[in-house]
Amino acid sequence: MIAALLKITDLTVVHDDDGGERTLLDAVSLDLAPGEVLGLVGESGSGKSLLCRSLVRLLPSSRLRISGGSITLSGRELTTAPEAEMLAVRGGEIGMIFQNPSSHLDPVMRIGDQISEGIRFHQRLNARAARAAAVDILAQVGFQDPARHYDSYPHEFSGGMRQRAMIGAALSSNPRILIADEPTTALDVTIQAQILRLLMDIRARRGLSVILVTHDLGIVAQVCDRIAVMRQGRLVEVGEKRGLLAAPAHAYTRSLIASHPSLPEKDMPAKTEKRQAPGAMPLVDIEKLHVRFATGGLFRRGAVDAVKEVTLRVMPGETVGIVGESGSGKSTLARAVLGLTPISSGTIRFDGADIASGRAVLATLRRQTAMVFQDPYNALNPHLTVGKMLAEVLRVQGKIESAQIPARCGELLDLVGLGRAFLDRKPRSMSGGQCQRAGIARALAVDPKLIIADECVAALDVTIQAQIVELFRELVERMSLTLIFIAHDLAIVRNLCQRVVVMHRGAIVEEGRSEEVFSRPKHAYTAALIAAVPHIDPDKPLLAPSKMATAQADGVAN
Amino acid sequence: MHRYKFVLYRPLQFLPVLFGISVITFILVRLIPGDPARVLLGTRATPEAIARIRAQYGLDEPLLAQYFYFLRNLADGEMGRSILYKIDVLKLIATRIEPTLMLVLCSMVLSVLIAVPVAAIAARNHGRLADQVIRIVSTFGIGFPPFWLGLMLIILFSVELAILPVSGYGNTLSEKLAHLVLPSLTVSLSLSTVLARSLRAAMVEGLRSDVATAARARGMPESIVFWRHVLPNSLVPAVNLLAVNIGWLIGGTVVVETVFALPGMGQLLVRAIFSRDYMVVQGVAMVFACATVLINFLADIVTVALDPRVKL
Repeated sequence: MIAALLKITDLTVVHDDDGGERTLLDAVSLDLAPGEVLGLVGESGSGKSLLCRSLVRLLPSSRLRISGGSITLSGRELTTAPEAEMLAVRGGEIGMIFQNPSSHLDPVMRIGDQISEGIRFHQRLNARAARAAAVDILAQVGFQDPARHYDSYPHEFSGGMRQRAMIGAALSSNPRILIADEPTTALDVTIQAQILRLLMDIRARRGLSVILVTHDLGIVAQVCDRIAVMRQGRLVEVGEKRGLLAAPAHAYTRSLIASHPSLPEKDMPAKTEKRQAPGAMPLVDIEKLHVRFATGGLFRRGAVDAVKEVTLRVMPGETVGIVGESGSGKSTLARAVLGLTPISSGTIRFDGADIASGRAVLATLRRQTAMVFQDPYNALNPHLTVGKMLAEVLRVQGKIESAQIPARCGELLDLVGLGRAFLDRKPRSMSGGQCQRAGIARALAVDPKLIIADECVAALDVTIQAQIVELFRELVERMSLTLIFIAHDLAIVRNLCQRVVVMHRGAIVEEGRSEEVFSRPKHAYTAALIAAVPHIDPDKPLLAPSKMATAQADGVAN
Repeated sequence: MHRYKFVLYRPLQFLPVLFGISVITFILVRLIPGDPARVLLGTRATPEAIARIRAQYGLDEPLLAQYFYFLRNLADGEMGRSILYKIDVLKLIATRIEPTLMLVLCSMVLSVLIAVPVAAIAARNHGRLADQVIRIVSTFGIGFPPFWLGLMLIILFSVELAILPVSGYGNTLSEKLAHLVLPSLTVSLSLSTVLARSLRAAMVEGLRSDVATAARARGMPESIVFWRHVLPNSLVPAVNLLAVNIGWLIGGTVVVETVFALPGMGQLLVRAIFSRDYMVVQGVAMVFACATVLINFLADIVTVALDPRVKL
């Protein structure tokens, strides 16, 4: 075996509370060989990111400190190295990229300058040489016109290009190890596939070791050599990926694998097909909907077509998934259905009535529909307890006697699987999954015919995601709800929805029964989207959506 | 360069603003109780003499007609004649504009020169002693009224130490600057505390931001993280705060010019108000209003230059 490049032994990090200390990383031991890609998985709060930060001694708070253990980089101890030495290690030996390139790139500094800054400091090059080196790096990370893009600012690029720029900045001083902390979580699947391919490409070219932090086992299965599983600050399992995925030793690893949404179809609970009476009225009937947003100021006007020529019927009791990349018009469509966005042309009928025909129809619509939002924390009023929040909705609704409101609140919590003790809790003291359940309870409080869930599991951990999806499945079955489920995660939609609608650049490019669309996509764009999802089986490699397929999809959309 | 296009068309939007300013100043001045002719001639003037003066200055005409003359004269570059000084208002203002302009300019520069290092020290020592001291001192700074502060500065630097002039304005540039030190210090001590607090808050946040973390992860030393990433990102809100406070700054010059006997427009305004010199009050108010509009326009240009994301 090759000598480890990085060796972590019994690393312990504690948080100094008033009067005591909490252990956040508990005796973590881990090796990284040269050229190896190590996948670090676990839920949020499991200590993955903290471990990465500890390696370069950039702890996120002054109350955190490394209280024990050692980190050696080619035999050199890092936990006790002087700060000046750490400056050379950071960037020079260990580079780092982060989840959100938009917030980690300096918005008021040119992209190229952010790359050459490190080159000038670490390699002591003059401005001109550093610029030339930065242009070279921009080309390596996939910028088409690096000399020109050097002078661009981050906001002028898409999320994928920003992540490329951040990778470029991390590579600028030729590190031997790259720590990638959830580098693709904020990106669409097709872009995610490109970034992962770029990382692997760079690793091959430079012989880089990579620590890839992610919550997506599919990514790990696709790109890593070894997997380390973390939970509650401890390393629960480490091993070669095939062995670990095939025979996980720890119960937690098994549950992680079980909740991964790309499992083969046969393991799915059968989806109930609701038979529609012939001639049944659609609950939502959208015809040739256009939503156009005006852009620009007083003197130069333009318009963006957020939704183009969309025709869609949703029958009562149906579960329809809407998938597509960010910016494809999914959310705008949902907002239009709720009458929250002005329609440019076309009609939307809810239960037979045109929602543009008057305030009365809109009021009925809002009484019978509810929305569940992406960010469970921000969608709940932080000052209200869950009980008060539900009671408020019930009071405004006025469907039930005020004396019965407390009992109904309890029932609603039962429905979403939260104990009655949550009536007195505020969002601050609840986890993301619990908040989302409370959000669903609030949606159910209006006794809706239709629920629109907009990316409502995107912010949650995989195991929690699986629970929420299961909750939706139960609710739809028990309460004859109609559900429009918007998500960018194809696997979840496939598991939950009978019918799926694929949107691309504001238009519907394909719709049909989930099984059919996913197993035999007719449209090139759908095929590219499906191919870009990393599969948990390492032997089903991440198919490169061929350039032709992408080009075709674009051509059709235009 | 298309981001700077607004520099060309924004002045068009000034026209309705200027019209509004003219209406408001015209009406406000006439709401002041008292008769300028009576003030001019003293208490023993005959009614005939007063009527003559009123006719001479157009004060006996209906308000609408007075406003019409006012606008017509404005178009000719005339703001009427001062009753008190007996010369053209515009010429009068021209002789007084320089000290005020210098005072505003020096105060702004001085405020920034004080606020940036103070905020930087506080932010980089967040929560430690230096930060606490700066916070307490700046709270006092906001609390002290400028006229009191001005008097204290005069007592310390001019009377006790005798290193700076007490009041007035000089003839050569160096003399003028020496006379401006204490007045601008008075103004900027108040302004810089407001500015430093806002800057400090932005810097503290900036030091904790993802941008700073990313820069540290690239091995940048704290000094580069601060001066090249945190500071530029903190300046944008500070520039806007400065622009918003420009009205307060100009208002402050009125008080400070009186305390330091600077022969500027603030002093002129105070005298004109006491003697009901309508035309002068009107003229000075117009100039102040235009200056506020212009400075906000300049602040917009600076904002666009500092932040590439801003489009106007």
